[in-house]
Amino acid sequence: MNARSVTVAKKADIKPGELASFEVAGRRIAVANADGRFFAIDDTCTHEQCSLAEEGTLEGTVVTCGCHGAQFDVTTGAVLAPPAPEPVTVYRLRVDNDDLVLEI
Amino acid sequence: MPPSFVVVGASLTGATAAATLRQDGFDGDVTLIGAEPHPPYERPPLSKQYLRGESPFEKALVRPVAFYGEHRIDTVLGVRATRVDPAKRIVHLETGRRVHYDKLLIATGVRNRRPPIPGLDLPGVLDLRSVTDADALRRRISSGARAAVIGMGFIGCEVAASLRQKGVDVVAIEPAATPLFRVLGKDVGAVVAAIHRDHGVETIFEDLVMRFEGHGRVERVITKRGRHVECDFAVVGVGVEPVVDFLAESGIGIDNGILVDEACRTTVDGIYAAGDVANHWHPVFERRMRVEHWQNAMQQGAAAARSMLGTGQPYDAIHWFWSDQYDANLQYAGFHHEWDRLVVRGSLERRSFVAFYLNQGRIDAVVALNRGKDVRRAMPLIRSRGLVDPERLKDENVDLRPLAPAPTEGGQ
Repeated sequence: MNARSVTVAKKADIKPGELASFEVAGRRIAVANADGRFFAIDDTCTHEQCSLAEEGTLEGTVVTCGCHGAQFDVTTGAVLAPPAPEPVTVYRLRVDNDDLVLEI
Repeated sequence: MPPSFVVVGASLTGATAAATLRQDGFDGDVTLIGAEPHPPYERPPLSKQYLRGESPFEKALVRPVAFYGEHRIDTVLGVRATRVDPAKRIVHLETGRRVHYDKLLIATGVRNRRPPIPGLDLPGVLDLRSVTDADALRRRISSGARAAVIGMGFIGCEVAASLRQKGVDVVAIEPAATPLFRVLGKDVGAVVAAIHRDHGVETIFEDLVMRFEGHGRVERVITKRGRHVECDFAVVGVGVEPVVDFLAESGIGIDNGILVDEACRTTVDGIYAAGDVANHWHPVFERRMRVEHWQNAMQQGAAAARSMLGTGQPYDAIHWFWSDQYDANLQYAGFHHEWDRLVVRGSLERRSFVAFYLNQGRIDAVVALNRGKDVRRAMPLIRSRGLVDPERLKDENVDLRPLAPAPTEGGQ
């Protein structure tokens, strides 16, 4: 199956240090603006299924879940701090002029 | 002889410390001794997902069972330590075994207080600390069963919520005016009380349990004001005490737990303490504190291990914990006992707020309901120990992040 390109937002829509989430292909995906660099991961924390974009905080490339403090690296999806048991999926995101385009 | 590091307390703290010793390359002997027969596990699920039967015990394990053997961590489980002899560097176990240590970490945690209430020993009067306790409680849970929850601290609140979620009728009895009154005060406590009432808990405040009554098992709770609360079982959560009795002759300094410095060192050379049992010096607050939090159990366990290895940094984490009750997520960061001003950002009525506990213009702690983001953003404000403008804290249009003053010399 070929990857699909979906424009999810304008660069300017997500400020540095902020996250936003989008429903794409039946999945909830969080897009992080890590001080000017953009990354896309699953929005759902693998611990208790909280939304990382809605209540999470972003410091550098580390997102902290707002419910129970689990931390993920937005560049790799890796767990940096428990209680999350598993990493989150990372998606390819490219910046096309002013657009944020998700390859899914 | 390779050096021998011994950990007493096969808890989240103890197991994390043992794992950290190996992870950081320690090649000597590591022995992990625990009074409970189970492999080390985390306690937060015991009042929530595990109690409700939603997640298995395996999910609560600190490490998979095979981890300890694979990492040459000798586990001695179901065996209590009875004495520590610092002159000979020996831990005595109840089996008569003597375990030599070069360095010793004590992570024995806390046990539940047993108040001198008549009838406390009746079958059906339960409390909750271990997975064995949780299993006993689970066996009593059935829709329509009647429970009396004695004490509305965090454990009582979480147990009441889980019981309601399983269809158990709950009457909660608490001596203070609200749940969590002593920690969070009446304003926040009243919000928690309302949440429980909304979920069908009958709350009795400012009343004490005088005795448990019943023939062969608990049948009712009698309060000082004369209430008779009929019940099929009761859950008592009225506080805890550090497990330090086995250290009485050790010479280790004890005052509300084991006294340790910011490197988790006790007053006796070669002996360290961490987790719920440790009354530790906190370099940010410049005072001692003893906390009973999941995150501290883990982080201080790791910090103690590194201190034992000589690679430690001063342990100065801003303490943090959560408590899930129904669909409400309560979070706390910092440390406070008293406060001279409570500043609320958001709305207590709408149950979406962060409350700042201030002393002389500085934030000692925050508590938030359904506002995890604000807690995370308040943590640098707590760490800074700087003066903050309460009006700006209160103003939801003001971003909390830039309010943290730049760290001064000596800060981090």
